[in-house]
Amino acid sequence: MTELRYKKTTEFDEEVYAVHPEDYRALLEALKAEGFDYPRSLTGMDTGYGLRVVVHLYGIESGKKATVFTDVPYDDPVVPSVTDLWPGLEWFEREAFDLVGIRFAGHPDLRRILLEEDWTIHPLQKRYDTGGYPLPDWQPAPWPETPPWEEPQASEEGGEA
Amino acid sequence: MRNPTTIEPVPGRTDEMIINMGPQHPATHGVLKVVIGLDGERITRAVPHIGFLHRNHEKIEEARTYTQIISYTDRMDYVSGLQNELPFILAVEDLLGVEVPPRAKLIRTIFFELFRIASHLVWLGTGMLDLGAITPFLYTFRDREKILEITEKTAGARMLPNYFTFGGVRRDVHPDFFKDVAAFLDFFETRLPDYYALVLDSPVFQARAVGVGVLSKERAIARGASGPVIRASGVPYDVRKAEPYDAYPELEFEIPTREEGDVYARFWVRFREMEESVKIIRQALEKVPKTGPYKGKVPPRVKPKPGARYRAVEIARGHLGAYVVSDGSEYPARIKHRSPSFANLQLIPDLFVGARFADAIAILSSLDPVFGEVDR
Amino acid sequence: MSRMPLPTERLVQPRLVGYDPTRPKPWLERIAYALFFSALWVMVVLAYGVVPTVFRHYGWLKSPLGFAAYAVIEAVLAFLLAAVVALILIVVLRKYLGKVQERVGPMHYGPAGVFQTVFDALKLLGKEDFAPRRVDWLIFRLAPAIVFVSAFLLMVAIPVAPGWLIADLDVGLLYIVAVSTLGAYGVVLGGLSQGNKWGLLGAFRAGAQLVSYEVPLAIALLSVGVYAGSLRFVDIVEHQYGLWHVVPLFLSFIVYLVASIAELKATPFDLPEAESEIVAGYNTEYSGMSFAFFFLAEFVELFLLPGFMVLLFFGGWHGPLFGLDPTSFAAGLLQSFYFLVKVAVWVWIFLWIRATLPRFRDDQLMDLAWKGLLPLSLVGLLVAALFRMFLEVL
Repeated sequence: MTELRYKKTTEFDEEVYAVHPEDYRALLEALKAEGFDYPRSLTGMDTGYGLRVVVHLYGIESGKKATVFTDVPYDDPVVPSVTDLWPGLEWFEREAFDLVGIRFAGHPDLRRILLEEDWTIHPLQKRYDTGGYPLPDWQPAPWPETPPWEEPQASEEGGEA
Repeated sequence: MRNPTTIEPVPGRTDEMIINMGPQHPATHGVLKVVIGLDGERITRAVPHIGFLHRNHEKIEEARTYTQIISYTDRMDYVSGLQNELPFILAVEDLLGVEVPPRAKLIRTIFFELFRIASHLVWLGTGMLDLGAITPFLYTFRDREKILEITEKTAGARMLPNYFTFGGVRRDVHPDFFKDVAAFLDFFETRLPDYYALVLDSPVFQARAVGVGVLSKERAIARGASGPVIRASGVPYDVRKAEPYDAYPELEFEIPTREEGDVYARFWVRFREMEESVKIIRQALEKVPKTGPYKGKVPPRVKPKPGARYRAVEIARGHLGAYVVSDGSEYPARIKHRSPSFANLQLIPDLFVGARFADAIAILSSLDPVFGEVDR
Repeated sequence: MSRMPLPTERLVQPRLVGYDPTRPKPWLERIAYALFFSALWVMVVLAYGVVPTVFRHYGWLKSPLGFAAYAVIEAVLAFLLAAVVALILIVVLRKYLGKVQERVGPMHYGPAGVFQTVFDALKLLGKEDFAPRRVDWLIFRLAPAIVFVSAFLLMVAIPVAPGWLIADLDVGLLYIVAVSTLGAYGVVLGGLSQGNKWGLLGAFRAGAQLVSYEVPLAIALLSVGVYAGSLRFVDIVEHQYGLWHVVPLFLSFIVYLVASIAELKATPFDLPEAESEIVAGYNTEYSGMSFAFFFLAEFVELFLLPGFMVLLFFGGWHGPLFGLDPTSFAAGLLQSFYFLVKVAVWVWIFLWIRATLPRFRDDQLMDLAWKGLLPLSLVGLLVAALFRMFLEVL
């Protein structure tokens, strides 16, 4: 797993992995092999600069908990689907697509689930207000200099060395 | 545009009848719609559609302060209203770093288990109504009424009490509370044998339930099923044991599991859970101090530190989670509610296909969905 | 069941309209039940006793005009009796379910809610009798009539006391088998004609169920005929002096009991109208009086099938006569009373079953009919024939 671009921290009692979108699926495959067999949840959210997928996993045998998240830009919000690893995330991915607008590549049946098919917006994005109307003066924040999966000081330390 | 809520008939196949079960159907417990292909009475295809009760709580909650949100969480699973507040409150308490006094923890646990009994009673009544027996429905609703009256005395509201809060509970319990709960438990224990006789021991019910809708252990885990559904398939997964919260670490109880994974097992598990809840409440009543603080120290303006926290509890239907993302302001950046029925309903295509139509009704009532939380 | 007292200090007291659940009036309900029973008895005496006796006494039946008058009066009386039976049984069912389910049942219209069904019937009369555009109009309208008429025609064949009957049929058993099968046509046609998939499913289920259970039912009836040596109800009842048929023909009685509950489409065999599965089954699209006719027919049958059971297995009108001449009018009054009491007991047992059990599944229903009841009824027929043989020998 050394070649995967991710950052592992511990928040409260669970391990949080921030992972590069290209390594998202590889990391989850590794975690699945590690024994995280129970899909607790999958959340899509809008961070202000992009869209984020958060996967919450649990190992029934080990009792360990893990959270994996990755960020994708607004203009290309494509994340590989993990429904073949955990079929239980099928509807969660559909919900994240429906409400937040993340496209899951390889999902067997990526349709809207809670809203009607003829909706054009993804209402949980920050650019819409609670009525579903676009906010007039909303601008996306710039993509962060150091994405969550990179160590903030890593480049400086590397420069000194 | 093709109507997306229908399934296409197979060309050349004339013996399949495509029928919409729901959203207005007596046995869908709300507004589920399942498009079903029927060959005689046997189900060939089943496509569930949800979202008819969608309010987008999660968007509304982004525009509310943390304290205001608690009353929204009640409205998810309205059958076990009080239980839904807890995961969100636990997550915010973690982010705030609030200590909950032990008395408040015990009071919360008592209410939590009372609502589990109330919810299972509603499930039992409506589930038996689906199977054609009308009498258990009236019995269970009468018993549930006692729980709602106890809740009303303390919290002021019956089904959606908005009673838990950060650091404990909103106000001290009614002076009669512990006496009332003990009286209810005594009363309820005299009623349970009747339910066993009417439901689990009834030969007609056993003919309908045994071996119907079998869910394998592996499938239950992979599909993210939780609550009685996964425990009836032989997986002893219960959040109360897996990630203990509130007063559960200090209470003794067992997780009823069964290996069969059929409708009968799911009914059996819920029956045993009601018994375990009685046991838990009795222990908690012994331990709880009669007076003392009911709420920890919480700042008047709830502003959690930036961060994210996922907490889960075991409500009557299973694993209810709340993922709270705070950006340090009074308003949350994102709240995600992971509802157990939402995950359990994914089992519909697995369990329905190949079953008879009457079995599908039994399977659906054994999954026990509540659409307030499926659609949120 | 144990009871928990109502809490004295509730925050919100329930608004009590018309009655107080903390002070129930059981005597009022008992008087109501007694009145129901007497009303039924009066109707039965009028339809089965007074009118035929009067017509026969004066010999009016011999003239064509007199026969026509008799037929018209009896048709009206039988229709009224059917309506009274249905109205009474509906409210009795609801009161009884209330008792079983620890609630009060209908309480508001009339003392102890006795007029509830009258108001329900008025409501149904006032509703639009709506037919969706897709229905096959003629059959859609004909089906409730077929169902109700078949139930109502069965009333003709019942003798309630010696000599008290509307039509003395030599082939009474055959007649009830034939006419009650007619009812199945109504249900199936009603389901098929409405262009609704739930109705179609209900019609399929009803057709399969009613036809399947006709067979063991007919064989059970046949075994009674074989044992009694006659298909005429009066002869069958006369044959039971000394020993009711339920003792020698116990197997046939069990078959009749189960099959008649299935014919009634009552729990646990209420698949054709299983509300939680196929919405309302064959009467999904019916409203107003069309729906009421299905409903009425169901409750008339709830009276008739126990009635036939009493005639065939429980000695009909047999009971102590206290030295009265069995052919006198006073004895007729007493005997019709005994008959109605026996029927009432069996109606109560039917309602009890309805209040307790969940529903069978369709394949289990078919298994029960063809693998359980049919062989059992054939054995019952054999037993009846053997007993008959011994009777002949003795």
